[in-house]
Amino acid sequence: MRYGFATLTVLVAMFILPNIGVSQDFDFFEPHTTLGGYGELHYNYSKTEDAKSKKTLDFHRFIIFFGYAWTEKWSFKSELELEHNFVEGGQGELELEQAYVNYHHADYLGFQAGVVLVSAGLINEYHEPPIFFGVERPFYNKVIIPTTWFGNGAALYGNAGGFDYKLVVMEGLNSDKFSPSSGIRSGRQKGFKADAENLLYNGRVDYLGIPGLKIGGSYIYNNAKGDSTTNQIGLAEFHAQYQKNGLYVAFEVGNISYDSGDIKASRGFYFNLAYDFGSLFQVQSKIIPFFRYADINTAAETKSGGDSEKKFHHTQWMVGLSFLPVDQVVFKVDYAQKTVELGSVTTDLFNLGVGYMF
Amino acid sequence: MFLKTFVIAVIYFLLFSSANIFAQEIKERTETIIKESFGKDVSFTFRKYTLPSNIKRKIENTVKQKFFKDLLYVYKISVKDTIVAFGFLDNVIGKSMPITFFVLLDVEGNIISTNIIKYREPYGGAVSNENWNEQFTGKNSNSDFTVGKSVNGISGATLSVNSVTKGIRKITILCEEIKDGI
Repeated sequence: MRYGFATLTVLVAMFILPNIGVSQDFDFFEPHTTLGGYGELHYNYSKTEDAKSKKTLDFHRFIIFFGYAWTEKWSFKSELELEHNFVEGGQGELELEQAYVNYHHADYLGFQAGVVLVSAGLINEYHEPPIFFGVERPFYNKVIIPTTWFGNGAALYGNAGGFDYKLVVMEGLNSDKFSPSSGIRSGRQKGFKADAENLLYNGRVDYLGIPGLKIGGSYIYNNAKGDSTTNQIGLAEFHAQYQKNGLYVAFEVGNISYDSGDIKASRGFYFNLAYDFGSLFQVQSKIIPFFRYADINTAAETKSGGDSEKKFHHTQWMVGLSFLPVDQVVFKVDYAQKTVELGSVTTDLFNLGVGYMF
Repeated sequence: MFLKTFVIAVIYFLLFSSANIFAQEIKERTETIIKESFGKDVSFTFRKYTLPSNIKRKIENTVKQKFFKDLLYVYKISVKDTIVAFGFLDNVIGKSMPITFFVLLDVEGNIISTNIIKYREPYGGAVSNENWNEQFTGKNSNSDFTVGKSVNGISGATLSVNSVTKGIRKITILCEEIKDGI
């Protein structure tokens, strides 16, 4: 017993004593809880040629971020989302969008397990309203990269030498719910007792070594499975964003390939061009008009061919304005015209929005 | 018995000494930066500096960001007995974790360099990139620090960029306020 006590004393002294002075002077970290969130209210107006116009007021998203850090390396992070004010009769959604234990070993390597995000494109992991242009997220980020895309799984991440990477393994998609109008979007299981038969594999690399520039790409593979179908999909995408001296340029392009069903490929792209006029004056506010052009086709290639490849193909141009009185609050307005290739049907869209993050 | 004691000691070590290891890393990284910046003839002292409440309040109101604590770490750096620079080691909060950063300023209060000493978040780690930090060199308490205008943002690191930029601006003002008394 005496021997054991002596050993313990020596070991503790070896480990602890040399660092006590340093610890007292440089002990920056304390376990803590973090609360945050974001949200957005939208007014949407749409009118398709001679049809009656549609107007809605919708508190589209209300998100609470909750996190706790036990140590510098071990923490928990979560986002709970309520969509469309409340949930009733299949309308509205209450989602656990993120909930993972995070281990941050070093800048070059970290690990997450729980409800994690797919790492693809510019919006899926960075979707707070003050960060993107337009009241609604770009349509590309609904049907090509279906944001917010999350699920039960695990991820490795890190950055080194200007490169940033993430590797994700998580629940797959439900191939029964793929459709020509929305591609893979409805196939997301969202962590609801998710079928783990065929996992989804995702990898992304970005280069951030040039100030203002982010450029990268990702790939997602899943042998998607439903009750009655299987469908092997591959999503390849490229993205770039440049923000410098008040100029904002963004570009995303992606392609989804399918190995069964009528759709053989979904694809699309968009680019944004914007300039912060607030940067010309001695004001803290940002006043950012922008222009967007998008070309999206969720049934770009089909086995049946013909009109089926034109029915869900649309082009869209949009002009809008983001006003940020402070960086975490945004007021938005945009006007867009969308033209569907089949029949050249045109829809006018007008949106107003207010969003926040903290 | 020895094995049991050893296991207990290791568990104790893992639980309670990790802060010491991190603290050691922070100290070593900071002092390496000072030595690399000023060469072999450099000497320095550091002390905990408790922020006077009036100065603290004034800077927080100007920058619109609170200090992490009521104290931070100030280095006085000399080369051949002549004071050449001051260094400030402080934290800001990113999305949920502290970001430890170090600002070196010359005796006039102009930034010589900024460095992220420790980043702990899964997102936004690009604020540690040297290229991004270089844009602060030469700035002082009178400079513009508006992100998107005088300071370039980083896509995917909005919160960290805003937070670190404000933290650096706070240091330039603090240095101007206290440099004659350091």
